[in-house]
Amino acid sequence: MRNQLSKIFLIVAAVAACLVFLYPTYQDYAYRKKLTSLSGQDSISYLDQNQEDILKAKLKRLKLGLDLQGGMRVVLEVDVIQLVQDIAKNKDDNFLAIIKEVREQSSNNDESVIPIFGRKFQERGMRMSRYFGNIRDADNVVLTYLNGETEKAVDRAIEIVRNRVDQYRVSEPNIQKQGTRRIIVELPGVKDEREVQTLLQGTAKLEFRLLRDPAISYRVMQSIDDFLSGKVAADTSASSKTAKKEEKPKDALDDLLAGNKPTTSDTTKEAQFMREHPFFSYVSPDQRNTGEGYVLENNRDRVMRLLARPDVQRLLPVDFEFLWSAKTDPTPDGKKFYHLYAVKRVPELTGGVIVNARASVDPNDNRPIVNMEMNSDGSREWARITGANVNKRIAITLDNAVFSAPTVINKIVGGHSQITGMESPNEARLLEIVLRAGALPAPVSIIEQRSVGPSLGEDSIRSGLNSTLWAVILTVLFMLFYYHNAGAMADVALVFNILFLLGVMAGFSATLTLPGIAGIVLTLGIAVDANVLINERVREELAGGKTLRASIDAGYAKAFSAIVDSNVTTFLTGVVLYQFGTGPVQGFALTLMIGIVASMFSAIVITRVIFNIMMDKGLTPNFG
Amino acid sequence: MRLFKKTNIDFMGVRGKMYFASTIIIVVGLISLFVKGINYGIDFRGGTELVIAFTSKPDYGQLRGALGTIGFGDSEIKSFGNENTILIRTTKQGEGMTIANTIKDAIRANLADKSFEVLREDKIGPKIGKELRQDASYAVIASLFVILAYVAIRYKFSYGMGAVLALYHDVLLTLGVLSLLDGVTPLLNLEITQEIIAAFLTIIGLSVNDTVVVFDRIRENSKIYRSLSLQEIMNRSLNDTLSRTIITSGTILIVLLVLLFLGGEVTRGFAFTLTIGIITGTYSSIYIASAIVLDNSLRKKKE
Repeated sequence: MRNQLSKIFLIVAAVAACLVFLYPTYQDYAYRKKLTSLSGQDSISYLDQNQEDILKAKLKRLKLGLDLQGGMRVVLEVDVIQLVQDIAKNKDDNFLAIIKEVREQSSNNDESVIPIFGRKFQERGMRMSRYFGNIRDADNVVLTYLNGETEKAVDRAIEIVRNRVDQYRVSEPNIQKQGTRRIIVELPGVKDEREVQTLLQGTAKLEFRLLRDPAISYRVMQSIDDFLSGKVAADTSASSKTAKKEEKPKDALDDLLAGNKPTTSDTTKEAQFMREHPFFSYVSPDQRNTGEGYVLENNRDRVMRLLARPDVQRLLPVDFEFLWSAKTDPTPDGKKFYHLYAVKRVPELTGGVIVNARASVDPNDNRPIVNMEMNSDGSREWARITGANVNKRIAITLDNAVFSAPTVINKIVGGHSQITGMESPNEARLLEIVLRAGALPAPVSIIEQRSVGPSLGEDSIRSGLNSTLWAVILTVLFMLFYYHNAGAMADVALVFNILFLLGVMAGFSATLTLPGIAGIVLTLGIAVDANVLINERVREELAGGKTLRASIDAGYAKAFSAIVDSNVTTFLTGVVLYQFGTGPVQGFALTLMIGIVASMFSAIVITRVIFNIMMDKGLTPNFG
Repeated sequence: MRLFKKTNIDFMGVRGKMYFASTIIIVVGLISLFVKGINYGIDFRGGTELVIAFTSKPDYGQLRGALGTIGFGDSEIKSFGNENTILIRTTKQGEGMTIANTIKDAIRANLADKSFEVLREDKIGPKIGKELRQDASYAVIASLFVILAYVAIRYKFSYGMGAVLALYHDVLLTLGVLSLLDGVTPLLNLEITQEIIAAFLTIIGLSVNDTVVVFDRIRENSKIYRSLSLQEIMNRSLNDTLSRTIITSGTILIVLLVLLFLGGEVTRGFAFTLTIGIITGTYSSIYIASAIVLDNSLRKKKE
């Protein structure tokens, strides 16, 4: 029994790990069921109470591929020809003719566009520097520059897409760069493809908007809070509103500004606060009196809904709008929150005036900065705007999300601005991308789009589970009938096999696709193979006259090389498949590979341990 | 329970006939491929594909007319799974999803009395189609190489060649059968998609499984039965492993049949390809792989 102990320990540890990995999936399933069984108001309050746990379960559960969840997968490619056209200066008929030829030629073969450009210029004996960069640049310098611009365009496009997808509030979106000029976007659960298309294409809108005065911002927030809690009747006449406000002391707001938030330990006081202040429960005014509001990540959707209500919209003064920050900031205790800014509706300046932007480091204090350059029209306007608004803040927004809201320090003449106040070089780099995104388009074309409707996804899950169930039943029965006790052992190993397979997948946050389920079904058949090899060998040894114990030992030993060789070769094809395939096919390769490893472990280690234990106890397992 | 008593079949003796049988089937398959062409799905050809579920069986004539009004009268229209669901495919290229949207609008306009739900919408640009075709060929070639290397290292080079040629035989056979049976019944939609390529790679992986088990036995028996000829050793090994080969292949086959019948339309082509592949894979592991190694060594002896 001694040498079994370490093996038993290993098995128990592996099983425990898998159960831990798989628990969130079960949790998520249980929550989902609970939420659908509750109705309307009950379900919303249940969601509120358990929001953290529900989110945690969702994050750690076994992920479902798009073909099982429903959703869209889009592959975008930077339209290099369009980009080159946009970058070029002094475009004349010659240039447009070249563009036309390049377009024709590249649609026929898949040679990269930029070398084709180079060739066309050479054929005509023209220098590329006539249209790009410095007049003294040699052609290969220009070509390198164009290649670089293409890659930067991809980064811009990714940021724009990420920004918009974030605003669209898709759950678990996946945006990835592929190669040097492609972007893969996966949007689970998205149904309206037309909306999504506008999400992914179209030039980004860069704007500079003045922040509203903090006092005004807070006043509007207070009025929303009062309105929502029912203290003020829903009438729109301004005079009656101000009259009522004068009657009421702004105690809630003052309290919050002074930092007197209700503590979480005092739940009745908190519940009362929520009832009396439905807006301030979720939007905390900035205590530094900037006019901003802070909203925890979990509450953003709720606040968005509140603000979108037409009766709330009517409370906003003219030229007033709430915009969200593009990214979140962390709280001291690890949560994330968004900023809510009160800005003017009408932008002071739009992105077309930006000529260049570069992230850099201030030589004086080594802090990250962004240098921004505008064209002559922009410079003039910018001087006027900054001159009139010293010490006020201007929000830089891309597609209506605020990326930065720096303070104007002094009047800026000549169009060269320096933006400071960023926390990290990454933030500066992001702002650089954003500023250039508004200035220079990153035209993308959709080269692949696949969408699966949710009902097909549900059908697929159902048939997947069904076939797995039946496959398991048939295999288990067969093994029992054919190999008797040994067959029962093989069945036990099979159960462990599936547990390990799913556990490993959950542990690595792998994605389960429909071919992946097919892979699980196939793994069942393969898993059985190792046991068949062993059992057949043991039977042979028994027939040869060895004792049971010796036969089992010999069987395992001799079958081992065959098991290893055959499983390794199948595993290797799984690796090749993983490299070649995309999405669903990769899911299949993954389950195949993990399944093979798991089946080898179950067949060789687990069944052996069980047999050894049985024999130690004096039992004689039957090999049929 | 036993299905196989100690057998003593002369596998190697009939290998001539087996070569012949395989050649016939492969040639027939290749002719079918040549005549019908490889039925690429849009994964490899590029184009737009829609799967639409109507509430009741639609009139194909009406559908085609509707598509004709927007210039897509030559699109493929097939049933998908059941009679209410159809698959529309066109290889024409358009910007983004404009083609899919135009088709949906046309159907909505012309079959106003039938409501439908879009189950699936795919659009593949021409460049991607070409890339996927390339990737697929590379994948198949890569896996054959990898297996050749592994088997050659673990056994001998001639064994590696035997294994790989048997696999090649499996791929050709399965391709041929797919081509022959494609479109024979509306239930069987056997176009070449990414999943089918995955199925082929899996067939390669599984078939070599069987082959390697036999080789392993040959290696073991060669050490024990030193006085027997290679042919006799191979026969002995094949008979020894016959029980295991049939049982394993049988189990996998059962599992695949479950998938084929219960797995739903989306994986049907995949499951069917695998089923054919397992059958040919088992056959090739028994009759073809070792036979090639044997004939190779006999040829070498004559030299």
